[in-house]
Amino acid sequence: MVYIASWDDFVEKSVQLFRADPEKTRYVMKYRHCDGKLVLKVTDDKECIKFKTDQAQDAKKMEKLNNVFFTLMARGPEADISEVGGKEQAEAQPAKKGRGRKQ
Amino acid sequence: MVRLQPDPFLNELTNMFERTTEKGSVWVTLKHSSDKSKVQRNKMKTAGEKIEYRCLIRATDGKKTISTMVGAKDHQRFQSSYATILKARMTALKKRERKDKRKAADSDKKADSKKRSSAAKKASN
Repeated sequence: MVYIASWDDFVEKSVQLFRADPEKTRYVMKYRHCDGKLVLKVTDDKECIKFKTDQAQDAKKMEKLNNVFFTLMARGPEADISEVGGKEQAEAQPAKKGRGRKQ
Repeated sequence: MVRLQPDPFLNELTNMFERTTEKGSVWVTLKHSSDKSKVQRNKMKTAGEKIEYRCLIRATDGKKTISTMVGAKDHQRFQSSYATILKARMTALKKRERKDKRKAADSDKKADSKKRSSAAKKASN
């Protein structure tokens, strides 16, 4: 079990891990409200990588990683994730919030 | 383990987050799964059948476990609702720390006055 300090490393390694063994790899998110802690884990039961944070900005990054994994897992490991978690989707989702331009 | 449809799953997940605000954690697991046993999979493989994989989502608070499956057709709708729930529930995480403490205090005041001034702006508009 290794906590990875860099978010980008974590993303890269976790996607690698999944693609190496899609049938065995799982992605787990643990959230503890009372301590304000968030832990992400990706493992295939041989290798295990983790990322720990208490920062709200990391939760935003996680949203993108969630999208990547939803796409990979629902569409298969060959799915194209270059577009996922990009601006297109992030902007398409909160459309109803009406975050209009301030004038 | 209770298998739910995606929408009831999201409702139950919201309840889990509410139940664990005082103490406890919530775990959500994503997995690439065919929802079939290994024996079944091997049978299908030898029969030359195509195995269909979808995304299995499990959630637990340590007492109760729920699960659902989403496929290529409905994962986008699910993931945006899921993101909305997370955003609404993960409120205990820290906002970006400011280097200068005095600045932080100032910006708090500013945020307050901003509210007032933006309200005033609206009124004047």
